[in-house]
Amino acid sequence: MSGKNVIQKILARASGRESVETGEYLMVKSNCPTPCQGDSLGRGNDQIEKMGAKLFDPKRVRICVGKSLDAPGEGRRKFHQWAERMGVPKENFVELGQHGVPHIICGEHAWARPGELYFSMTNGATASLGALGGFAVTLSTETGSYLAMGTTWIQVPEVARFTLTGKTQPGVFARDVFEYTLGKVGDIGETGRVILYDGDYVSNLGMDGRFTLCAQAICASAWTAIIEPDKVTLKYVKSRTNERVLPLNGDPDAEYAEHLTFDVSNIDPQVAPPPRRASGTSISQLAGKVITRAGIGSCANGRMDDMRVAASILKGREVHPDVTLSICPGSMDIYLQALKEGLIETFIKARVLLLTPSCAGCGGGYTLASDDVFIGTGTVNHPGRMGSDTAQIFLASPATVAASAVEGRITDPRKFIMR
Amino acid sequence: MDRVLHGKVWRFEGILDVDREICGMSYNLRYGSKSYEEQLKMYGEACLVNVDPDFPKKVHKGDFVVGGPGFGYGHDHDHACVALRGAGVGAVLVEAANTIFKRLSITNGLAVVEVKGIMDAVKTGDELEVDLAEGTVKNITNGKTLKFIPYPDFILEILDAGGAYPLLEKKVKSGLYTASG
Repeated sequence: MSGKNVIQKILARASGRESVETGEYLMVKSNCPTPCQGDSLGRGNDQIEKMGAKLFDPKRVRICVGKSLDAPGEGRRKFHQWAERMGVPKENFVELGQHGVPHIICGEHAWARPGELYFSMTNGATASLGALGGFAVTLSTETGSYLAMGTTWIQVPEVARFTLTGKTQPGVFARDVFEYTLGKVGDIGETGRVILYDGDYVSNLGMDGRFTLCAQAICASAWTAIIEPDKVTLKYVKSRTNERVLPLNGDPDAEYAEHLTFDVSNIDPQVAPPPRRASGTSISQLAGKVITRAGIGSCANGRMDDMRVAASILKGREVHPDVTLSICPGSMDIYLQALKEGLIETFIKARVLLLTPSCAGCGGGYTLASDDVFIGTGTVNHPGRMGSDTAQIFLASPATVAASAVEGRITDPRKFIMR
Repeated sequence: MDRVLHGKVWRFEGILDVDREICGMSYNLRYGSKSYEEQLKMYGEACLVNVDPDFPKKVHKGDFVVGGPGFGYGHDHDHACVALRGAGVGAVLVEAANTIFKRLSITNGLAVVEVKGIMDAVKTGDELEVDLAEGTVKNITNGKTLKFIPYPDFILEILDAGGAYPLLEKKVKSGLYTASG
């Protein structure tokens, strides 16, 4: 009999069971806070109040703003009033001034913890929080029902183990490694599974890179991703929460649906052209393509490491006159840190269009016109996603996007990174 | 919903994204002022139209949609689940389920089950009997039977009520609701 993988162990804990088997249906509880999108009152939350249900634990609800700042007035006000009526304490509101990409804010607060089941209202990029060593999934429109019940069901998923070995070349980042592995397994290569990343490449990666690696698991049709907790994780989590931390790790002989090994040392910077997501290819195939728009930000690449690498390329340079480069720091904490480090000054001098922290970073902030060619660090590249159906969306790392914005065409960032 | 379902097969291959293929109408409309019943009608008429323009007209109430591991790809946009229900689809049978799509479907009262080998065992027009509690698919047309992991009572209860919110409402009204914690 084989050992248990980390997902089976987390779900055993969450269901109050000794052990669980893959494929089994369980009723589960979470020990983590559940963040909601405070930008507008979703139907589920509204519905539970109207039907006379309560919140199972109002203290467990967190409210973030920044998913959509299109209507920072009315939607936010309605959510506030709802939360007040439902008994959510004021201190659980992460307000304007602390706004940003919800998953980035949740990570900064370490609401998802190692060994724990974590639910978020906000979309499939909840997977990014798997970097904290918990089982992090979205409940999306089911969230209202969960907040009323305090329990929900889960079917224990299969786990695909991706072992990443070696050291990347200068100019190649976690985003490139992700795009490379996605390209190898394909859009539906991991349907319904959880992707577990391990190997020496992952051990040597900081938290920002780990969040990037995990963020887009749904692009392979996986449910979420996870990195088992280690010293890096525990140091990060313990510096950000006073909650009890009880990490879990898989057994050495645990069962996996699949085990793939990738050597990262020869990966080139990757670019994913439209229309399908798992289209990542070496930059040499696409270099030279003229662009009109560029954007850095998102749940995948809106963190400090991303701001720093963008600034290292933009320092002393200017964005090409025919290109609009938007940069959207992922949270106000990141914005403030970037300000302290002089990165904001670098961006301003490089003629960057600076956006306020939010999910707008994914889409470059503004709608694409029919003849726009965009390269960005967002998560989606299908036609029509960011405006016109005929606009083209290419995805790449912050370094590649910054280098391309300077040159006015898709450009290998190694030209600027000679370390 | 009944726990033993009967209907005809509509078989779809390839990657079917909730946004582009399963529902041919924008998710953003889901949060307008329309009632759930109005959404069922509106999205139901846009169900799979980018793959088969006449699908909403051809499908009969209770029919099955059968797909590969690419059915339900994409974002947590549950208008696709509303579209399938609105079109009258009785259940979705897939080789492997995109979990977010499966969860949101059940939340919306639509059964999505993973049946290994289903794509090879059926063709469009075949007649099936699906027993959600037993975990069996019988192809009446060709005599084949396949098995799947049956739904437990707590999921059948959600489907019986027509979704997670209708179930919650039923519990509140009957005084059975407690916020358990």
